[in-house]
Amino acid sequence: MNEEQDGTNQPAEQWMAFQRIWGETFSKMMQLGLTFSPDSAPPDFMRQMRSGIFQALGQSWEQFLRSPEFMQAMKQSMDSAIAFRKATNDWFSKVQHETQTVSRDDIDAVMLTVRHMETRVLDRLEELAARLDEVTGHDKGNGRHSAAAAQHEPAAQTRAQKTRSK
Amino acid sequence: MNTSTSTAYPWAKWQESFVTESFAYARRLAQLPTLHQRSQLVKKGATSSTVVYEEDRLKLLHYPGKQPPRHATPLVIVFALVNRPYILDLKEGRSVVNHFVERGFDTYLIDWGSPTYADRHLTIDDHVNGYISNVVDFVRERAGTPQASLLGYCMGGTMSAMFTALHQDRVKNLILLATGIDFSTREGLLNLWARPEYFDVDKFVEAFGNCPAEFLQMSFLMLKPVQNLLEKPLNFFEKADDPVAVNDFLTLETWLNDNIPVAGEVYREFVKYLYQQNLLVQNKMPVGKHIVDLRKITCPVLNIMAKADDLVPCAQSMPFNDLVSSRDRKSIAIAAGHIGLAIGGKAQRDVWPQTCDWLAERS
Repeated sequence: MNEEQDGTNQPAEQWMAFQRIWGETFSKMMQLGLTFSPDSAPPDFMRQMRSGIFQALGQSWEQFLRSPEFMQAMKQSMDSAIAFRKATNDWFSKVQHETQTVSRDDIDAVMLTVRHMETRVLDRLEELAARLDEVTGHDKGNGRHSAAAAQHEPAAQTRAQKTRSK
Repeated sequence: MNTSTSTAYPWAKWQESFVTESFAYARRLAQLPTLHQRSQLVKKGATSSTVVYEEDRLKLLHYPGKQPPRHATPLVIVFALVNRPYILDLKEGRSVVNHFVERGFDTYLIDWGSPTYADRHLTIDDHVNGYISNVVDFVRERAGTPQASLLGYCMGGTMSAMFTALHQDRVKNLILLATGIDFSTREGLLNLWARPEYFDVDKFVEAFGNCPAEFLQMSFLMLKPVQNLLEKPLNFFEKADDPVAVNDFLTLETWLNDNIPVAGEVYREFVKYLYQQNLLVQNKMPVGKHIVDLRKITCPVLNIMAKADDLVPCAQSMPFNDLVSSRDRKSIAIAAGHIGLAIGGKAQRDVWPQTCDWLAERS
């Protein structure tokens, strides 16, 4: 992490990188202007110029988007967005708790509990299926199913099948 | 500037061009107010289908075709968790699904639906050993075959590869389309931006739950900002008076903007285990209680890649054939982008007929 290097230099470095990119872009565009001949038909001439300009711009932006300065700026922006979102979430949770209503955190906790229970039940069923396979001498596979067991497995072993239609 | 040849194109020609272009410009401008209405008429999906299986938000689409299937082994297409799957059945003449249906394959497509906040705890294990497993079992039972062929696109390909490694006995053939396997390459911008020193995915998922659709959309736009934000609208405007070009544009744009969020835990696992730690290619990828070992894949594999893919660079897909134990391995790489690999003209003419031939010999 670069917290120690955070300071007045970073925005300046980012701005210099941005300036450098634009400087290179303009010089490439100037070179394009010198290579084109006025003998070509006007619409084609304009399209070629435009295409050349966009190509130069695209290359410069590609370099900029790969630069450490851009990625550092992106990280700062992301961290700010995450911090803002977290602060908003916490505030809403607090308000909901104070008004004795259910908050998103409470729903998350319940969902996680249900998921853990589901995982424990499914893991237990998988163990039982594996032991059954051992006893009956069927092929074992990875995961919750195997080719042979799939033909004989009880419906309970497959995950939450709400609707099945032919 | 070369002035000696200025007499070859006198001032009159430039004037004439200016007038012609002005009229063309006015014609194109006149089309713009009708664009919104025309975009509402875009049809999502070209080939007729029925929903034959549902589980939570997942829907399994079956494409019956006009004739009964000619090949015994059914084909299940596993789309990515990002964006909607109808890109593979975009319109007539631009449909991957239709290629397989017309060639007599019993074709199914997984539509993952759009996850809500309640789905934020779904993991890769839930998708691979849960949903895909149940779908494959259902299709096998319905078709009366012990195995099915899988075709995975992008993230769907990565999950299909994991499923095949864990359940090889149930997969007859594996086709991967622009699939990320080895994430160590620095060619793609996403690989750079997802580095742990720049992106804390744990904090991101804890704050946002699911990965927002808008965030994904912005990330994809920023891969080629000049092309996406400047060149594309201008190129479109130049063809605004061509109804066929406008329809093509609106159809693709409808899909591009039809974004869905990605379930939080799946997003965390993809970023952490694949983009940041690159565990799949090391045969250390955890999926639930299991570790995915790509060497357990022994079925015929076909790896289709796009040479100009910014989202999943070729270098990310290419190592797959060397990591599996299959004897029957083939690669196809064409000069196209991530989406062009599916719906582009060259892909429709060359890649999909070739893929159908390959699959027909092994079904």
